[in-house]
Amino acid sequence: MASPALLSADQRVGRRAGLGRRLLGRDWRVAWLFLLPLLIVMAVLIAYPFATGIVLSFQHLVVGGQATWVGFANYQALLFGDAYSAEFRQSVLISALYTGGAVLVKLVLGMCSALLLNQRFLGRTVMRAVLILPWTLPTVIVALTWLWIYQGSPDGLVNYILIQYFHQKNLVQFLADPRLALPSVVLVVIWQGMPFYAMMFLAALQAIPQEQYEAAEIDGAGVLRRYFNITLPSLVPAILITTLLSTIWTVNSINFIYVLTGGGPLNATMTFPMLAYQIGLNGSRELGTASTVSVMFLPVFVVVIYFLTKRMLRDQGG
Amino acid sequence: MRSKRRIRIAQRIVLVIGLTLLTIWTGVPIVWMILTSIKPTNDLYTHPSIWPVHPTGINYQQVLTQSNFAIWLRNSAMVAVGTTLLALIVGIFAAYALTRLHFRGKRLMGNLAIISYLIPPAILFIPLFQVSISFHLSNKALGLIPIYLIFSVPFCTWLSLSYFRTIPVEIEESALVDGANRVQALVRIILPLALPALAVIALFCFSQSWNEFLFALILISNGNQETVPVGLANYIIGDVFQWGPLMAGSLLASIAPVLIYIVSQRWVVSGLSAGAMKG
Repeated sequence: MASPALLSADQRVGRRAGLGRRLLGRDWRVAWLFLLPLLIVMAVLIAYPFATGIVLSFQHLVVGGQATWVGFANYQALLFGDAYSAEFRQSVLISALYTGGAVLVKLVLGMCSALLLNQRFLGRTVMRAVLILPWTLPTVIVALTWLWIYQGSPDGLVNYILIQYFHQKNLVQFLADPRLALPSVVLVVIWQGMPFYAMMFLAALQAIPQEQYEAAEIDGAGVLRRYFNITLPSLVPAILITTLLSTIWTVNSINFIYVLTGGGPLNATMTFPMLAYQIGLNGSRELGTASTVSVMFLPVFVVVIYFLTKRMLRDQGG
Repeated sequence: MRSKRRIRIAQRIVLVIGLTLLTIWTGVPIVWMILTSIKPTNDLYTHPSIWPVHPTGINYQQVLTQSNFAIWLRNSAMVAVGTTLLALIVGIFAAYALTRLHFRGKRLMGNLAIISYLIPPAILFIPLFQVSISFHLSNKALGLIPIYLIFSVPFCTWLSLSYFRTIPVEIEESALVDGANRVQALVRIILPLALPALAVIALFCFSQSWNEFLFALILISNGNQETVPVGLANYIIGDVFQWGPLMAGSLLASIAPVLIYIVSQRWVVSGLSAGAMKG
């Protein structure tokens, strides 16, 4: 039997293990005590609403009224019915364009920004702080500012510049023109979200050891070659996590659309969360169908979340 | 070698051009917000211009004295502080258990904690609206706290967990051997060590709460209970946005989150990327 002095504290505790301890783990009593608050939050605030949402999708419930069971009627209405199916299908398309466009451009611009900010130059710290600003501002404030910039009157900044300096005669309705609304909103999303990408990529860039570049330079590799052979491969983990996280956040985001266009004009910016809001809380105030809209998108999230947690847990020994 | 010098010069030019473009792209909306906030409302519509002709502080005065700005600030602060305190306590205890204790189901709990953070609000907001009404949580600013815990508890748990992992286990060992229980080990040993990181997590949690818009919008219709983002978004008088005071209010509302961010920037990036990269 090993002398007590050579055992660690954990081992000494474990030696008194009874059956309960061996089955459930040495510290299970303390652990469940410590974890109880988290479990309560997860059960009451996340699992319960989540389950309620799924149940709601099989019901018809107008705000303030009684819920009635309707089976798959909501699903049928959204996919094939006269009232909603066109809107629903359009919201799928708009969500895809909105998210895909925003994420792609954020990725490219974020990468360029990170590469620039990684160079050594005077005032670098100040630059980094300034360029991070859009991400630190509350999203509503960003949306309101751009709403003001996009005004379809001579006092809106863009129209003002077009009239004064480019001698345009007609006002451009960035948010009221169905062809321009979606790109205009996406631009705001990009403006606000790009610094997140820049930040994550910059951190990853700084983790790449200089020696690799020096060795490559000695071997005669040019700038592009060094980028594709050293920089990019080292950035792959950061790119994956950032993109996946940002995709979830972007698909979900309703703030910009709510403030800038409210889903219009002519549903040009009606992504699915906006549609759910529109149906459940604004128009007919029918929570059943609104919930169905959200639930229909669940599979997409499950896939993204699955890959994301795998990634995030991988390096934490999870 | 001449070609090496030329490459370096080309790199410098690209750098300067790139940074200039980035600065313009980032700066224009922010500068425009500031300039608008110091222009009198009449000028905005009758004599639009880039630079203010008659700079004035009247917008700030209006938003501070003639709107509910002070009330919004109070509500936002109450909710943010309450949420942060609760989320931190729950998160710290959970993180300690997940990194220090041995029990069956540890891995599952860890996974669940991270997945909880990723559950999209877009899926939850409709049922939460219904739940909130039935539990009489709606229309009260403090009723937002349980809702905000949904994203702040997993967030605090996840970041505390990442940080606790970097503290060696041996540090508590002598205390445990001397008979200290786990709570004492956590409070007397781990917490003081983790204080800087926890301060940053708290600040970040605070600013997430401060900036939240969707739930504050749908759950509160009573003007007295509105938070800052909702108050500003609804700051319409006579069907017209009051752009001058609105920009002034926006600037004031942004001070807290921007400051918080600048102070905690470096650590937040390393915390978020702890799960992303090796080492």
